[in-house]
Amino acid sequence: MNSVTRTRRLLKWAGNLLLAVLLVWTLVPFYWMVATSLKKDKEIYGFEATLIPRHPTLDAYRRLFAQTPFVKYLRNSTIIAVTTTVGSLVLGSLGAYALARLRFPGRSVIARGLIFTYLVPQSLLFIPLFAIMSTFALIDTREGLILAYLGITLPFCTWLLLGYFRSVPVELEEAALVDGCSHLSALVRIILPMSLPALAVVAFFSFTQAWNEFVYANVLVNSVDVRTITTGLTLFIVEDVFFWGPMMGAAVLATVPPVLVYLVFQRWVVKGLTLGAVKG
Amino acid sequence: MALPRNSTDTYGGAVFVGAPAIPQPSRRVRRETRLAYALLAPTLVVILGLVAYPFVSAIYLSLQNKMVGVAGRFVGLGNYVELFRDEVFLRTAWNSLVYTAVAVAIKFVLGLTMALVLDQERPFNNLFRTLLFLPWAVPVVIVSLNWRWIYDDLSGFLNNFLITFHITHDIISWLSNPRLAMGCVIAVVVWAGTPFYAMTFLAGLQAIGKELYEAAEIDGASIVQQFLYITVPRLRTIFITTVMLSTIWTATNLQFVLLLTRGGPANRTEIFPHLAYETALGARRLGMGAAVSLVFFPLLVVLIVFLTQRMLREREE
Repeated sequence: MNSVTRTRRLLKWAGNLLLAVLLVWTLVPFYWMVATSLKKDKEIYGFEATLIPRHPTLDAYRRLFAQTPFVKYLRNSTIIAVTTTVGSLVLGSLGAYALARLRFPGRSVIARGLIFTYLVPQSLLFIPLFAIMSTFALIDTREGLILAYLGITLPFCTWLLLGYFRSVPVELEEAALVDGCSHLSALVRIILPMSLPALAVVAFFSFTQAWNEFVYANVLVNSVDVRTITTGLTLFIVEDVFFWGPMMGAAVLATVPPVLVYLVFQRWVVKGLTLGAVKG
Repeated sequence: MALPRNSTDTYGGAVFVGAPAIPQPSRRVRRETRLAYALLAPTLVVILGLVAYPFVSAIYLSLQNKMVGVAGRFVGLGNYVELFRDEVFLRTAWNSLVYTAVAVAIKFVLGLTMALVLDQERPFNNLFRTLLFLPWAVPVVIVSLNWRWIYDDLSGFLNNFLITFHITHDIISWLSNPRLAMGCVIAVVVWAGTPFYAMTFLAGLQAIGKELYEAAEIDGASIVQQFLYITVPRLRTIFITTVMLSTIWTATNLQFVLLLTRGGPANRTEIFPHLAYETALGARRLGMGAAVSLVFFPLLVVLIVFLTQRMLREREE
């Protein structure tokens, strides 16, 4: 038996051990979140606090729906995330088509500008954005938040689609254009159906960005009627007192949509990742 | 003598063959230009109005003493001068550096380990991959709040666990102990950010042909040699892009510190994005807040420009 085979067998065991450690490290916080949401207050705080819920109950969830504006937050998050996703898909496709297929002055500058704007961090923009949104009376509106989110998603989505559209063979379209088909219908009938994987990444990216976003939501929205779930969660903190039961219940429920979307889209997303699709 | 011939080639064709056709292509170009800008209009409005203009206005704002709801007066570099004289500034600069460097380094090592482990063959590997990448889908707010609860002094998981299994006897104040706070914040950043590294690295690992390793093995290369001379060189591009992207995102992330420690205890976890947030919206000094957020931007610009070039080049290849 040569040394490489022996090392390989050793590595296999080391790998299994490491996998176990990594799984514990990754999953314990999830466990704690779910376990807390299933406990009565008595088991959450103080000397009787438990590691495993002794009398699991859905009481925290009941309080969440009956006594807090949680449903309202969920609704706002859904409306805002879905609108941002649709906007990114439509506007991104139109822009990317122009950049991929049409020749016009300013094309390469715009393509470069897309990446640059994508990389400019939100923490630099939220202060002036607050001032701008105030000027246009867009504070505390869903429209304002959706616009701000398009500012995050659109540059990257357009950039990603641009790369994909370029890889679609141009011959099919040329034939259609010669037959009198317009550029727009060439985009809709020929390019888009062939770009489904890229569209999936765009949809995934913009939905999760909008659903998970916190900084803009925190700065641009104050009213309960517009608040999204991420900033709504922090309202379970009142004067440094945390209502951990309902808060963890809300956290569990608010994690479900992005996780579901991730499970559905994961095989496309990994490909989009190498292009810097997702923040981490 | 090359010049005249050259000019006949270009101009000659246009004059003799294309003379009547000159307006035609230019009309077509003009039509394409108009269509292109019509299609790009919404994207350009968003980019210019929500990224470019705010960016420029952040610079302008940083030169004023503007407060929320009050008109500002131009103060030149006054905000920056005040900032550099403030002792919190030095502390924040050092913290930001440590926070970013340590978090990125640990995410890199852990992410590579995770990718290598998942690249091995074993049953149910797809399930393990999905589970290990899960934190990446969770909103950062939820990650931060959940970990704050894990660190909780009296009822949190950590103290609860350590005391139940008699590992310690006293309560440890994880987030309010000046020595532990930064480490605790970094641990959360690592928990949330490692999957991103693992995903990009794993995609890179799986793109390497197995025959390369087989050939190397026949030549008698050890596992370490195979890793150093096959794996590392082939992942180099992915390493650089991932680290640069993650450095930008880590250095500018406000949420972890805001929700875990608010910069405390005694400014031990204060970093620039959070200082800017507190200054602009806590103390309501928008001008000064903009100055704080811009002060570390020159460093990021280098990264952003470099990364822009890189992403363009990668696409061309």
